[in-house]
Amino acid sequence: MSLTLLAQSILNGLAAGWIYILVALGLTLVFGIMNVVQFAHGEIYMLGAYCSYFLIKLYGFSFWEALPLSALLVGLLGIVLERFFFRPFRGRFEPSIIVAVGLMLLLQTIAVVGFGTDTKSMGGIIPGVLKVSGVTLSWDRLIAILVGIILVAALFLLIKKTKTGQAMVAISQDIYAASLQGIDVNRISAFAMVIGCALAAIAGSLMGSIFSTSPFMGTSAITKGIAVIILGGLGSIPGAVVGGFILGLIDGLIPPLLSSTMAGIVGFGVIIIVLILRPRGLFGHE
Amino acid sequence: MNKATQFIKPVSYPVLILVLFLIPLFTKDAYLLHILIMTGINIILAISLRAIATTGQMSLAHAGFMAIGAYTSALLVKKLGLSFWAALPLGGITAALIALLVGYPFVRVKRVYFAMLTLFLGAVIRLIIMEWRNLTRGSSGLLNIPPPNSLNFFGLYNIVFDSKVPYYYLILVLMLITLLFLYRIDSSRVGRTLLAIQQDDSVAESVGINVTNFKVLAWCLGCFFAGIAGSFYAHFIKTLTPDSFGVLQAIYVVVYMVVGGRRRFYGAILGAFILTLLPEFFRILKEYQPFVFVGILLIITFFLPGGLADLPKLGASMLRRLKGPSVNHA
Amino acid sequence: MLEIKGLTKHFGGLAAVTEFDMSIYSGEVVGLIGPNGAGKTTMFNLITGFIPPTKGHILFEQVNITGKATHAIAAKGIVRTFQQNAFLPDMTVLQNVLTSCYLHPKSGVWEAIFNTPGYRKKEQKALHHAMEIIEFLGMDSVSDELAQSLPHGYQRLIGIAIALSANPKLLLLDEPLAGMNANEVNETLIFIKKIRSVGTTVLLVEHNMRAVMKICDRVVVINFGKKIAEGLPQKVKRNKDVIEAYLGVSEDAA
Repeated sequence: MSLTLLAQSILNGLAAGWIYILVALGLTLVFGIMNVVQFAHGEIYMLGAYCSYFLIKLYGFSFWEALPLSALLVGLLGIVLERFFFRPFRGRFEPSIIVAVGLMLLLQTIAVVGFGTDTKSMGGIIPGVLKVSGVTLSWDRLIAILVGIILVAALFLLIKKTKTGQAMVAISQDIYAASLQGIDVNRISAFAMVIGCALAAIAGSLMGSIFSTSPFMGTSAITKGIAVIILGGLGSIPGAVVGGFILGLIDGLIPPLLSSTMAGIVGFGVIIIVLILRPRGLFGHE
Repeated sequence: MNKATQFIKPVSYPVLILVLFLIPLFTKDAYLLHILIMTGINIILAISLRAIATTGQMSLAHAGFMAIGAYTSALLVKKLGLSFWAALPLGGITAALIALLVGYPFVRVKRVYFAMLTLFLGAVIRLIIMEWRNLTRGSSGLLNIPPPNSLNFFGLYNIVFDSKVPYYYLILVLMLITLLFLYRIDSSRVGRTLLAIQQDDSVAESVGINVTNFKVLAWCLGCFFAGIAGSFYAHFIKTLTPDSFGVLQAIYVVVYMVVGGRRRFYGAILGAFILTLLPEFFRILKEYQPFVFVGILLIITFFLPGGLADLPKLGASMLRRLKGPSVNHA
Repeated sequence: MLEIKGLTKHFGGLAAVTEFDMSIYSGEVVGLIGPNGAGKTTMFNLITGFIPPTKGHILFEQVNITGKATHAIAAKGIVRTFQQNAFLPDMTVLQNVLTSCYLHPKSGVWEAIFNTPGYRKKEQKALHHAMEIIEFLGMDSVSDELAQSLPHGYQRLIGIAIALSANPKLLLLDEPLAGMNANEVNETLIFIKKIRSVGTTVLLVEHNMRAVMKICDRVVVINFGKKIAEGLPQKVKRNKDVIEAYLGVSEDAA
């Protein structure tokens, strides 16, 4: 394998890795920290993409206007979902899973029925590619990476440095003790859900723009997201970053070396091995 | 009241089974038979999912294991020329082996993460089927899968699989075997142990129960029957595409089980039965069918968490309340 | 019967148990006492294999059981109860106790499925055994009630019944008297005496000091993961370090 091809593969892998991290970020907040069994997170991501699509195509917004708007709208949806679907079953494993799974079905069907099964394109963000000594990276992906970096940093600061973030951590460790300390669990949970859904919407909008939008994009998102946070450890932001990179590199390097099938198998295999050795993931605590 | 039910119960099951066997004599309607056959498949899927759920684990990979059974069986017959009658159990066994492979790391994690892992596993299985084009022809699908080989009994009676009727009998037999086997497990000490593990696995562990082994047992057992259902499906529908075995299908099986009720054994049967038949009444709204499903699911989750199987109990307690306190309360 | 040498457990940087030595002899009732957070439940978890020790070893009837799996240790004869949620809530008392007749008598999965005569005999034996335990603890009137619908005192008894029907040689009771009124405490103490009289050795963690004085042959005191005293209950009660350990806690609280 030539050096250029190797370098390109690694770069592709790292770029893909950041995109996986983007997808997993909201998931690690909602699933890992707030312990909400949000299987429908992929569908939220997909709705964020469609929201941006319609804002751009129907209302003529630019991508950079549509992005925060879509995050806002989807975030509001998140409040409704948290209040009516997740809060009544908080702490009860089985109903939570049933509801989450039902939501998956519901949201995906709404998309299929409402938007049609064909893939839609909302046009890229910035056309063209960046070429440096033989390896290329499209501007779109670079932007996605930059947004990803900003969001990871922002989320990390939110969790570590703000009172709200610390409240979230307290809730994740012991919800009862947290409420005894005077933390308004309901308000914080709703807030976390908004942030999580907003992150999903941003990721979905970016991905929908770089690639395409379809009602089924949520399924591959949640799959990748789950893989990243299981590998990296639930509730851990550094874990999500590391997990995303590992999986991204696998997806970047294995297909040119072996095949796409092997990439899926190797990725799965890595997760199994990590699970056997460290059942909590690479950086998982709890 | 008690004497009547004591008499009815043991008689009703053989009568029911007899009726099921006699149905094809009264109707040769291919459409109706097709629906009943699909119901049989879904019952096997739902009851085997329930087997996994008795230890408290929720599997979202059931469609994936059905796919493993389906593709294994189809490929064994198409590429290696095996008889269907050998391929069927091999499909189930392959599914069980793959379940075993991932079983031990999977069951050790918390229940929520187990569900996540099975979701992921199901997606990976589908991905592998799609990408391994040399073997499975990917999204184009596996076509022209042969029907089961004809059976010859004592040189006299020949069963050829050229209409729905023999398929009906086959799935009926498979379903009854599955139900009998899983029912025996459920009502024996194994079932009691599995239930104890679901309620509190620390307590179970502390009295000498190897919780991990039992969880893996329940998991492999459930996946085995999913594989069997898949094998049958492959040779019945005769075409396989990876899209039939995605997360959505796995969710459907979960819905069958939950709507029917997970606690009682017949709950899963009831759920699969009703929810396979119900869409046939809504044929016009085919696209909107998932909405109906989700609606039912949410109603059950919010108002009747034990599933439809809880209705008799609910009805009985409501009756008791209406009747008021009784002197002869047992 | 049970020998613990140099047992140490670190959780990250925190030393929960340090260099703990203890011996338990057959037929005794030994009390393990100490202020909250001293490491008593950790000791139980270590002995029964719920967590592996960082250092040290545990011998049971001359066999090294350090780091073995809990169910294997239970098979060897050490069974514990739990401080909270010690029972199976959605099952009847009888089903609760029947569940732990798993080992005695043991039966395979296949014979259960095929309902062989051998299996049926074993089930009968198990049922008999379970009813014996239930009667032994005076719960035969509620044997068909759902465990979660019973009052707290009964629920703790169910926990003990579950542990007992696994035929333990050494029974570890984790705060069996918690939340009980005076009557229930006395009844439970009678049960513990009965348990000892059939040959089972008992290791007891308790906060109820009067009960400990009444029922224990020997007492071991633990504080901050270290053994600080050991001996006859009356002697230990007067031990300076022990008094300090308990008073120290209440002074901080004041």
